[in-house]
Amino acid sequence: MVNLWNLIILNPMLNGLVALSSLLPEAVEFGLAIIILTVVVRLILMPLTLRQLSSTKALQSMQPKIQELQKKYGRDKRKLQQEMAKIYKGAGVNPAGCIWPMLIQFPVWIALYQSIMRALATAPENLLDLSRHLYSWQIVNQAIPLNSYFLGLNLGQQSSSAGIGGLILAILVGATMWVQQKMTTAPSGDPKQQSQSGMMLLMMPLMFGIFALMFPSGLALYWLASNVIGVVTQYFIGGGWGYLVSSSHT
Amino acid sequence: MSYEEILYLGSMDGKIMAISPSARDQELNFPSLPDGEWSFAFTMPSKGVVCGSSSVSIVIYGTPVVANGLVCIGIYNGKVLMINPSARSQNLPFPQGRSGEWSYPRTDDVIEPIVGSPVVANDTIYVCSSDSRVYALDMTYGDEKWRSAPLDGKLWTTPLVDGDTIYVSTFDGHIYALSINDGSLLPWVFEAKVGFVSPPEMYKGTMFVGSFDRNLYAVKVGDDKPLWEFTGGNWFWATPVVSEDIVYAGCLDGKLYAISSETGEELWRFDAGSGIVSSPVVADDLLVVTCESGNVYLVNVLTGEGRRIKNPDDPQSADRPSIDASIRGHLCVLDGVVYIGAQDNRLYAVDIDRGKIDWKFPLAVE
Repeated sequence: MVNLWNLIILNPMLNGLVALSSLLPEAVEFGLAIIILTVVVRLILMPLTLRQLSSTKALQSMQPKIQELQKKYGRDKRKLQQEMAKIYKGAGVNPAGCIWPMLIQFPVWIALYQSIMRALATAPENLLDLSRHLYSWQIVNQAIPLNSYFLGLNLGQQSSSAGIGGLILAILVGATMWVQQKMTTAPSGDPKQQSQSGMMLLMMPLMFGIFALMFPSGLALYWLASNVIGVVTQYFIGGGWGYLVSSSHT
Repeated sequence: MSYEEILYLGSMDGKIMAISPSARDQELNFPSLPDGEWSFAFTMPSKGVVCGSSSVSIVIYGTPVVANGLVCIGIYNGKVLMINPSARSQNLPFPQGRSGEWSYPRTDDVIEPIVGSPVVANDTIYVCSSDSRVYALDMTYGDEKWRSAPLDGKLWTTPLVDGDTIYVSTFDGHIYALSINDGSLLPWVFEAKVGFVSPPEMYKGTMFVGSFDRNLYAVKVGDDKPLWEFTGGNWFWATPVVSEDIVYAGCLDGKLYAISSETGEELWRFDAGSGIVSSPVVADDLLVVTCESGNVYLVNVLTGEGRRIKNPDDPQSADRPSIDASIRGHLCVLDGVVYIGAQDNRLYAVDIDRGKIDWKFPLAVE
């Protein structure tokens, strides 16, 4: 199973990342390669992302009706589920529609994450491990070991040890994640639900901000690039800043 | 590394240990002080965001060297340590300056990670650091004699000292020659298209060094072009060994290649089955070859025919590797026994004549 994963997903992505680094200016090779590969992967997965966004949007537009049903059949769970299923069916919406595209994307994210961590080869055993995944292509061999510096940051170093640059990167990871989530999180009429979603809105960016501090900066750069692409996609597909602006007006 | 019947090594859990083969053979309690055994755990305050303990143990990749009865080691945390065995066996606070102990840098400061081993020559310790410099340290006091200008990228290598010159192979594909007196760059630099993965080995004025392009290069000092290059199936991670005009090069493709040092012609190859990370060692007419799967082989230096050491816990099994753990560390031969530190943090003693594992000793002992 591990071999199959390496053969089909990880190795092509890892070698692509290294080969891409080889083509870029040495001073920024790996940092830029991470950003470009993140963009390419997001573009390839765009149909799934669009499907996920449209499902999410459809579900959100149905929220007032759902809340009405919750008030009406709050105690009768079975009836509530039946009525909700009727509404979904009537609108032609599958609640799982926003989960499946996300689940399919997960292996790709994991492979991208593994590729970055392996390519960074921060310790000798990592470099040794890298040798098992690389193709014998000249373009790949030429790039090894990669220059891990990008805009003054050592991408192989824990962000928290990378000084002010690492801190800024972690803050940017948290901030862009917050923006991305805020754009899609509809305000709820139910105070309890509103409080829960408000908590989630803060917790996830905070958590990823801390992760960004604890992991190598290269991974934080990938999260940042991924978040920015997510925000841009959401802006153009979702038609503007969404709930980020509308909620600040209310 | 062995010195006066004692083995010096770094354990997987970050200890520097002195081990007496005699005491281990008799299964005495560790450390057996009369036999010169001790264990020393050097810790440093942690940096950055960590969970749990605020101090971290050291990581050791290089091999200790012994100089004037003292043990020198470079650690991944970015320090060079000079250790007095007597002070360590008494468990005195480190460093005992009067006993010749020191650490470089002296304060809590560190240089960048040290991966290669230190080298001793002319009362000086030479060591490469990931800050791309070579350091020369006074052996007695640990004072910095000089540090070179930054070379190329991280230097995860061991410097090669030959006469008045230090040779350093780099990840960026250079072999630099430095003056042993002040670390200044000498005029000759060898430049390859691809980086070097292993420290070089010198034999009769020619260096043998593995590269990321899966080639083993033979480079004559002073020449701009390699004498020859030999292509393997993966990187030549381990430093090759040379004996009687034959280069024995272990490759991550699982093969041990015997190559003529003069022509680069392949004489024979031995298939170890999995990547060879540790440099083989020559013991009389045999080569001891280890690989990542944990197998240990005794290979005839002339014919390339080899036999596998059986696992002592399962001698009938043809599949079970000699050692139930990957082998990546340096091998050390002493009195007909090869000592192997495996990834299960155990030390194994392999009797070459009898072709069997005599004993194993867990290094994670208190």
